[in-house]
Amino acid sequence: MSDKNSESKEPPKRSGQRAAYVDELKYSLNLLTKNKLVLTGIVMSVFFILVAILSTVIVNPASAYKFDFPHAYCWNGNLFSWGTQSNICPASLNFPLGSDGYGRNLLSMIILAIPLDLSIALEIVASALAIGIILGAVAAYAGGWVDEAILRVTDIFFAFPFLILALVFAAVLGRTIPNLELAILLVWWPVYVRLIRGQMLSEKTKAYVEALKALGVSRWRTLFFHLIPNSIYPLLVQATLDIGGVILTFSALVFLGFSPSAALPELGNLTADGIGQIFTAPWLLLFPGLVILLISLGFNLVGDGLRDVLDPRLRR
Amino acid sequence: MLFGVSLITFYLSRGIPSAFNPCAPYINPKMTPTVIHNTCASHGFYQPLYLQYFYWIHDVFTGNWGNAGNWANGQPVYHVFASSFPFTVELALAAVVISVVVGLPLGILSAVHNNKPIDHASRIVALTGISTPVYWFGFVLQLVFFYYFLQWGLPSLPSQGAVSIGAPTIQTYTGIPIIDGLLNGNLAYAWDAFLHVVLPSITLAFASLGALTRLVRASMLEVLRQDYITLARSKGLSERVVIFRHALRNALIPALTVAGLLFAGLLGGAVITETVFNWPGVGRLSVLAVLQGDSNFVMLYTLVTALIVVVANLIVDVLYAVVDPRIRY
Repeated sequence: MSDKNSESKEPPKRSGQRAAYVDELKYSLNLLTKNKLVLTGIVMSVFFILVAILSTVIVNPASAYKFDFPHAYCWNGNLFSWGTQSNICPASLNFPLGSDGYGRNLLSMIILAIPLDLSIALEIVASALAIGIILGAVAAYAGGWVDEAILRVTDIFFAFPFLILALVFAAVLGRTIPNLELAILLVWWPVYVRLIRGQMLSEKTKAYVEALKALGVSRWRTLFFHLIPNSIYPLLVQATLDIGGVILTFSALVFLGFSPSAALPELGNLTADGIGQIFTAPWLLLFPGLVILLISLGFNLVGDGLRDVLDPRLRR
Repeated sequence: MLFGVSLITFYLSRGIPSAFNPCAPYINPKMTPTVIHNTCASHGFYQPLYLQYFYWIHDVFTGNWGNAGNWANGQPVYHVFASSFPFTVELALAAVVISVVVGLPLGILSAVHNNKPIDHASRIVALTGISTPVYWFGFVLQLVFFYYFLQWGLPSLPSQGAVSIGAPTIQTYTGIPIIDGLLNGNLAYAWDAFLHVVLPSITLAFASLGALTRLVRASMLEVLRQDYITLARSKGLSERVVIFRHALRNALIPALTVAGLLFAGLLGGAVITETVFNWPGVGRLSVLAVLQGDSNFVMLYTLVTALIVVVANLIVDVLYAVVDPRIRY
């Protein structure tokens, strides 16, 4: 399938497997960046990751819990309530995206929220990936009743209304960030199990597996050093696509009433805070939601491009 | 499978009484702690979980799903569910119609004009749909089409509920407001119900549109690469005939699966949209039930949704065989 190491379709121009691998990688990168949309996606994702890394340098994290009402008072000059004094200010030089209900700078809060959301998404996707790879690989490689049992369990999870299941988990576990992460993880892993199992089943029948067996390579070594690396690419695509999905799901849980704490600078929480003032201070809802949309769109564009590049039928 | 679903939900929602107190519907603030203890004990809530599960199964097979908590005035959950389910059906149907009407042509256009501007545009629309927070989009639609349109004196769309609050009560046949309005010959009522469904169904459809578009595009591209398409083209057939007579029918098979599963998913999964638009369907109620710790409703809801998914899978498999004569079971 999308295996670069052991079966490149063209004979390598330079000698040695490593050189062939580098050529292949360069070609993939070239394909990836040739498409302007994918390039946009890469730029967006890298931008948000940079913002996340630098966030504490740009904004003082303590400002999230400094509710400075008197200083934040401003004449609310928006269209609908002209001239009322309020701590929710529309966009101005001091508050580029306006201020929120706690008198905080909305832009700063969004910048502080980005690393939190990205790390939540990364943690969930990485854990789901790990669980999925181990269970899926074991299911495909062992076969028999082990396979059957693992499949039935994923079937059960697929039949669930997944948001409600996450809600029930969250309700049972309690409203903290790790618990919400756990709730999402519990409904997220089955997809990866299915994906890698399907990949492995086709990979297992290939000739090189037979050859490894003839060479006397142990089963575990075959599994972890050959089969899994060769069937992992579709999972990486799915993982990239899922980063956006996880951020959306997390913010949906927060919106539906599982906010860990009211003033927490988290994108879903900021958006949910804005709902109460939707008709008087629409920016409180618009901007955090827009940032969720952009982060998610960035990763989706990259994932979509990766899928095209890694699909051997669309390559050449 | 349904057994597994019910077991997991049951253990989750009964095992931790602090989150879901199954006894809550039977007690009231006037009771003393001893009375509360006795009442709960008489309903078997202090017995081991597996015994409680057997009692629950026994009750379910005799048609007793238990009572809902105070949030639904303690009515039997079955009645609560049955009276709100038609609203969910209406919303899901409307959303599927929109996704198919928009997503299908978009996917086909995207595949036919592969790597042209129109393909990129469709990719952006599809991926934006997937990446948009549903509740955010719902509120933005409310803001623009309900609030700003009202401000600007344009005809604005309603943002809450399935029919207007002052609407007359009419004879219900199906429970679906639009159809009931038509059956009663009450066109004004049906129109009112139609206006109410516009914004929620667009919200719901926008999210599911992306998956459908991408899938139709992929399967159409796959089909267009086949030899018989090259043959059809080399026969001198017009591009139109090639695409609509030869390619489309084969490309639609995977799309059918997705549309079927989409509908099944929407029947159970319109949770966020229903909450945003205050839609009186089962999704919003299930969120209420979880927040209120009502395990009876959550059990019924998850089981029905799981059943719908299972049945939808079955129907899609059967339809597969009808559409594609090569598939025989």
